[in-house]
Amino acid sequence: MNFNPCTKHKTVRKTVRKFVETELGPIAHEIDQKARFPWEVVEKMRPLNFFGLQVPREYGGAEMDSISYAIVIEEISRVCAAMGLCITVHNSVGTNPIAQFGTKEQKEKFLPKLASGECIGAFCLTEANAGTDAGGVETTAIEDGDHYVINGTKIFVTNGGICGSALIFTITDSENQRNSNSVLIVEKNTPGFSVGEIEDLCGMRANPVSSLFFEDCRVPKTNLLGRKGDGLKIGLSTLDSGRIGIAAQALGIAQAAFDDALKYSKERQQFKKPLSTFQTIQNYLADMATEIDAARLLLYRACVFKDTGKSFGAEAAMAKLYCSTIASRVTGLAVQIHGGYGYSKEYDVERYFRDAKVTEIYEGTSEVQRMVIARSLLTKPA
Amino acid sequence: MLNLIVCIKQVPMVSELNWDPRTGTLKRDLAEGMMNPACHHALEAALRLKDLHGGHITAITMGPPMAEEVLREALAIGADRCILLTDRRMAGADTFMTSFILARAIEKECPDFNIVLCGCHTSDSETAQVGPQLAEELKIPGAAYVEWLELKENVLRMKRLSDNFLETLEMDLPGLVTVTTSQYQPRYVPLAGIQDAYDKYDITTLDADDLKLKITGIKDSPTRILKVYSPDSKKKNIEMKGPAKIIVEELLEKFGRKIGGEIQKDLKAYGQDQ
Repeated sequence: MNFNPCTKHKTVRKTVRKFVETELGPIAHEIDQKARFPWEVVEKMRPLNFFGLQVPREYGGAEMDSISYAIVIEEISRVCAAMGLCITVHNSVGTNPIAQFGTKEQKEKFLPKLASGECIGAFCLTEANAGTDAGGVETTAIEDGDHYVINGTKIFVTNGGICGSALIFTITDSENQRNSNSVLIVEKNTPGFSVGEIEDLCGMRANPVSSLFFEDCRVPKTNLLGRKGDGLKIGLSTLDSGRIGIAAQALGIAQAAFDDALKYSKERQQFKKPLSTFQTIQNYLADMATEIDAARLLLYRACVFKDTGKSFGAEAAMAKLYCSTIASRVTGLAVQIHGGYGYSKEYDVERYFRDAKVTEIYEGTSEVQRMVIARSLLTKPA
Repeated sequence: MLNLIVCIKQVPMVSELNWDPRTGTLKRDLAEGMMNPACHHALEAALRLKDLHGGHITAITMGPPMAEEVLREALAIGADRCILLTDRRMAGADTFMTSFILARAIEKECPDFNIVLCGCHTSDSETAQVGPQLAEELKIPGAAYVEWLELKENVLRMKRLSDNFLETLEMDLPGLVTVTTSQYQPRYVPLAGIQDAYDKYDITTLDADDLKLKITGIKDSPTRILKVYSPDSKKKNIEMKGPAKIIVEELLEKFGRKIGGEIQKDLKAYGQDQ
């Protein structure tokens, strides 16, 4: 067992860090405050393969291994979690399902546009009455000749306001709702497809999260991903991979908060001594560093399991559960170490604190991760 | 086909350098490495020539095995082939020995080169000697501190800043240039390039025997480093107290000249606007 990062992974980290610190660092605060999506940075990210991280080469992607993928998301999120969110959702749940389950025609049609970033992807599961309970989806896709006609509303869609294509989780048989989930690829310009208002959220404010509406939206049957009724299978598999991305994102936020807290504790003086000389603060820093390290090891284990073809659902759930839990804790402590300044928008830790919370909620809540982990424990042969 | 060689060096990333007080050489194994900034600009200059005229870029470095990392980075960004010169017998080589070894490697591995590009100096030792010495060793013309390059037929036209003059020079090829960091801002590395650099390329690794050299880096280097030290900092803090308007005026009065140049001009202009 080797705990040293290989030089490739070091190079990936160094390269991405340089890019995001230069291009996103100076605007991260501003785009959070104005809830503005930074298209100008997207423009620069496109030729660098950020939008096709794991897409096969033949379709224009970088075909990276999963640890490299996690490092990319971690490093973007360390500077700007909202952009990390855009990239991980686009890649892991907006694009990879097409690479994994798509027909040759679907791959040829959609992957090059997605991998080049010409088209930003989204994945729509959550509805007013469904989310954690994927079986409760009410959006229908009814067959009509060569088409499916979609009706329904998806909410809290990450990248919703900017997506060029979206994977829609629907029911294709309203009689037998629980076993008839299907995933359809819908392009933005399809008649009947419209985007709602951008949500006013606590964190991740630079990502245009919105509702998507489908009113008699006709999509050709060739846009059905996998087979009819494969929805739940595709959804669950997609979410396993998606969790690696969100875990990496949470880890990046935690690392950013820790870096700032460590620096601040050495600079800020109270009782004529730097904060870092007080044992209470040292204990905070020690706990934060330990938790971040443990989180990173859990995450990389899930990545290695995924790349070596092992089942990694429980490992990804553990990584996502732990990374998001410690992200909330570490950002909370970072605010605490900053004192009143940490509660001010003048300091970045305030943003990290807001951004961290949602990592415990989306891509499966912490409660769902525990369900997934417990299920894997209880179904293992004794 | 245009045959370009870029000499790159791995330098420690931290500004705080550790060195061996006994030998006066840097302890490179302690620091995280990076591509020397000027070498990175030289590589970018080569890439732009390749973008315009086509061609083949060979990146070459001499250093410990970990220097492979900067070669992989060069491959990721667009170099076509990489050569690593690594041998304990080359350790401790001064600029004279370094350029001697580089020249022998270039003669052996890429004798048909058109242009050799080097960074104008390195951030760790700042001698700016290897480039010009390498031109001598290869018996080709060389131009140092070049800011801009243009290739026409077999003539390289260059611009370089010399004192307060911008010189335009022409050089027959093959030739060598050392490139400054003022132009040729390096492009970002594409992520697919990194994957390729590690998965698809082999690096040619050569030692002293491969180059048929009977050398010892330290013994055969004529330069002796007598002492490496950190200059004592003579900075001291001055605390100014009082209303902002008054202390800013006081600050300018006392230190305006030191702040100097453009900042002072800006401040004056700002004062006139108000």
